[in-house]
Amino acid sequence: MSAPSARAGYVAVLRRDLLLAWRRRGEAALPVLYALIVATLFPFALGPEGALLSRIAAGVVLVTVLLAMLLSLDGLFRPDWEDGSLEQLLLAPQPLGLLLAAKILAHWLTTALPLLLASPLLAAMLHLPTAVLPVLMAALVLATPLMSLLGALVVALTVGTRRSGMLLALMLLPLMVPVVIFAAGAVSAAQQGLPFIAPLAWLGAALVLALVLAPAACAAALRIALDA
Amino acid sequence: MNAHSSPTLWNRLVLWYHQMGSPPYFYAFAGRWRPWFIAATLITAVIGLYGGLLLAPADYQQGDAYRIIFIHVPCAWMSLFTYAFMAGCGLVGLVWRVKLAEILAMESAPIGAAFTFVTLVTGSLWGKPMWGAWWTWDARLTSELVLLFLYLGVIGLYHAFEDTRQGARAAAFLALIGVVNLPIVHYSVVWWNTLHQGTTVRLFGPSRITWSMLWPLLTMALSTHLYLGWSLLGRARVALLELEGGKDWARAIALKDAPHG
Repeated sequence: MSAPSARAGYVAVLRRDLLLAWRRRGEAALPVLYALIVATLFPFALGPEGALLSRIAAGVVLVTVLLAMLLSLDGLFRPDWEDGSLEQLLLAPQPLGLLLAAKILAHWLTTALPLLLASPLLAAMLHLPTAVLPVLMAALVLATPLMSLLGALVVALTVGTRRSGMLLALMLLPLMVPVVIFAAGAVSAAQQGLPFIAPLAWLGAALVLALVLAPAACAAALRIALDA
Repeated sequence: MNAHSSPTLWNRLVLWYHQMGSPPYFYAFAGRWRPWFIAATLITAVIGLYGGLLLAPADYQQGDAYRIIFIHVPCAWMSLFTYAFMAGCGLVGLVWRVKLAEILAMESAPIGAAFTFVTLVTGSLWGKPMWGAWWTWDARLTSELVLLFLYLGVIGLYHAFEDTRQGARAAAFLALIGVVNLPIVHYSVVWWNTLHQGTTVRLFGPSRITWSMLWPLLTMALSTHLYLGWSLLGRARVALLELEGGKDWARAIALKDAPHG
């Protein structure tokens, strides 16, 4: 019996992860609720003054989305590691990077997409000017896959460890600094009426690079962390 | 054949490299060299500090306050150099699985973090009288802070594993990802308006600093490199003993050094 093609493996992993997420669809709402609550805290902490909130709105939404994704990252490999299916992936004849790309895509679809859908609401709550909203959404569309890819790379290194929550933040957030800078740069340029294409183009370039390299690096990281 | 009769320089280097990979050999080698490293560190530090604090003229603009440069700048150089060294050793450890390279990579991380911390502290002490602020969100400062977080991430990941060697490999991989990230961080923050002064000491082309200030700076840089060597050899010796605790050579050393034999 010959092994199924790489495409079949990719589709099977994607389908399995999406199905698992669908069976536990209550959990998919948790990152959105978390982001909503964190964004609600800012007006309490800083006062409800509209001018101040509209100036920081884009940054708050960006950081909130980043933190919500960070919290969900630990669930990317750990359940599979605990029930043994991750080792089956490592043993599969298909390229591991490709299978991990399917897992990362599934993670993005189930975590980042709900956050993307919720972020106009967050932005409106913080009085972001409506004209800037498309730029923020474009920045988020480019930045969230980057966060998923880099996050998967880092979380793969921590799979074999017991505690990883705070460690994950310590490892991942320095890598996220450029993403936040460029995404926030685009929005603040748009807010000041300046051209905002350049930071978005940088984000896009980084995303293309990460799409090519991160799954392969993630596979290497997983093999190192599990000593496989 | 001439090639067989006398070993070439290359052959000797290869032999030395392979001998260094052996833990007992390295342990003895490090023990022999450590006193020389600390002696050279202290001598160069005294010369460099004397030249910097007493001989060098005061700055026409900053007065005597600029003299913190003789600590700040060598430490800043070392924070980057140590990271490069750690990543290089990590790469060797990942590719060839050399135990000693893993140990050197992991043991240089805390030293690099310390250099980064000293750079940040002295920079903020320097910033208060010059800029009127302990801290600003300037490009250089921010990327140095990110460098500190990268170091701490590497150290944290290393200690999160129960198996030391597995932890070392995972942390070395993280260090390599950080190498890719460092220039990106640097250039992304360079785009901000920046308060920190530009480069004054340049490898290529004339430096924008007078010789009487430059030579103490370079001496201090040499001294910090030697300190890295001293500290790293000592840390690596301890880590080797811990890792190889069950082996005969480590047990022999432990028995010899034990107070009651």
